[in-house]
Amino acid sequence: MKTLILIELYKLFKSNRTYLVFAIAILLMIIIDLGLYKDGDELFGYLLQPISENFFIEGNMVNGYLISYLALNTLWVHIPILIIIVTTHIFSSEFELGTIKTLLTQPIERTELIAAKIVAMICFVIIFMLVVALSALLPALVLFGFGDVIVFIDGIQFIQQPTYLGRYMLAIFFSIISMVAFSSMAMFFALYFRNTLSAILISIGILILSTLIQTFIFGFFSDWQPFLFTYHFAKWQLFFVDTIPVKTIVNAVIFLLVMILFFVALSVMRFKKMQITE
Amino acid sequence: MKLFKVTDLNLKLGGKTILKDVSFHLEKGKITGLIGPNGSGKSSLIKVLAGLVFPDRGAICIENDTTSTFLELRNKSGFLIDSPALYPFLDATENLNLFCKLNKKHLEVESLLNMVGLAGIGEKKVKHFSTGMKQRLSIAQSLIGDPEVLILDEPFNGLDPNGANDLADLLKSLNKAGKSILISSHLLRDMEILADEFIVIYRGEIVLQVNKETLQREDKKIILTFQDRIGNEALAYLKDLHAEILDNGNVVLVLCPDIIASVITKLVGLGDVPVNMETLTVLQERYLDITK
Repeated sequence: MKTLILIELYKLFKSNRTYLVFAIAILLMIIIDLGLYKDGDELFGYLLQPISENFFIEGNMVNGYLISYLALNTLWVHIPILIIIVTTHIFSSEFELGTIKTLLTQPIERTELIAAKIVAMICFVIIFMLVVALSALLPALVLFGFGDVIVFIDGIQFIQQPTYLGRYMLAIFFSIISMVAFSSMAMFFALYFRNTLSAILISIGILILSTLIQTFIFGFFSDWQPFLFTYHFAKWQLFFVDTIPVKTIVNAVIFLLVMILFFVALSVMRFKKMQITE
Repeated sequence: MKLFKVTDLNLKLGGKTILKDVSFHLEKGKITGLIGPNGSGKSSLIKVLAGLVFPDRGAICIENDTTSTFLELRNKSGFLIDSPALYPFLDATENLNLFCKLNKKHLEVESLLNMVGLAGIGEKKVKHFSTGMKQRLSIAQSLIGDPEVLILDEPFNGLDPNGANDLADLLKSLNKAGKSILISSHLLRDMEILADEFIVIYRGEIVLQVNKETLQREDKKIILTFQDRIGNEALAYLKDLHAEILDNGNVVLVLCPDIIASVITKLVGLGDVPVNMETLTVLQERYLDITK
């Protein structure tokens, strides 16, 4: 099993697609940082105006921590898309290249193979999210320096500088679970359609639809919200609330874990019985 | 000696019958040709043997063990299924090393590449390989687990005549080294030269299983072409041999292989020299009859 996982990781990191996705993510972060560095004063002046009118602000409010939070906030729809470009490929590329036939004629079990691929998928998500976390944070700290953070979640939240990194790490850890859940769904589509593009398009479609329904916070649609995965994805922001609502976050984690288990079980069952006729 | 025996194999895909009551056996140490026209079920049968497709019904008995499974056959076989399928973003050595690891084998990859005629190009990415090179590399991959049997689906597809000859030589040498080989192909004449045993499949059913010795003993159909009209004496002689004279003047005879030479000598002696002789084996004849 260890060998299989290492082989899957080896194939993953031999593919140009993997590095392209990393490069895009880092580039997006750098663009955001540079954009804010050059023209951010006006924007922040506007954003912080209501606070400035009521509070006496001392110190560096526009700092690297705030920028890293804003960068993640800006990209939380883009990141899942970048991730599934690679994770769907882990599964469907074997069908597209025909290598699934070569793999399954080796002395390995189908369950072992898909388990190794799932582990490789999780490893990629973890590495990708860590790269995203670092590329959102480090350049921002270099360009904007350190300081306390003011964010707008259920009102104004003041995050003191010493607690920020811990909250940031927890938010990234939570996002890893979210992204594994989304990737698990995309994995099922990749195995169902045996085609990377179809799996990506359907997953993006569901992501957009779910996000769209989530924005209707009234009437019929509001009842649906707890069943939307994007509703739970967004809970990473709660780590930046002054008193972290642990129960809400635990509920979101449970939802995401159930989602992961559901799609993993469905994918394994499908793969085990799959007729490889191509 | 039978290496394995398949009985009553049935497969339906999407409601369509692909294989129907397929029964055959593979002789140990022989090259067996699985012959049939395109769409006859050759690839599906091989995929069942490889464990890629699960049959609706059917059993396999490997070396007289009635409890055998298709998975056991897969574990002792090397496969090449359809077109060569390797990782294009890896080079030849990386591809083979990857499959060595999967098979838990520590092999000298370079010697494998030498064996299939790919020496010195181990560091070339597979995406830059020609079809023939990919085919050879796939065969190298199928040899990694040192399998007792090689099962190859249309290995001559996409190869130029030289490449096909090289591959045939390679398969013969592997067979001499003790490997049993099952090759599916629609190229009847190539298979007749290469194989010792023949299985003909048509519309998902096995219609013939025969070995080369039996075929060589059986009567052959020959078609003689003469430049001029045949003389009366030769005509009478041919009629005694139950020859069929075609409208175009060609003569069709069914003869025991032992007397073909004496018949030709007699015709030459009578002054009627055939300018061409086409020989159809029983296999070719039956194959053509079946697939007409």
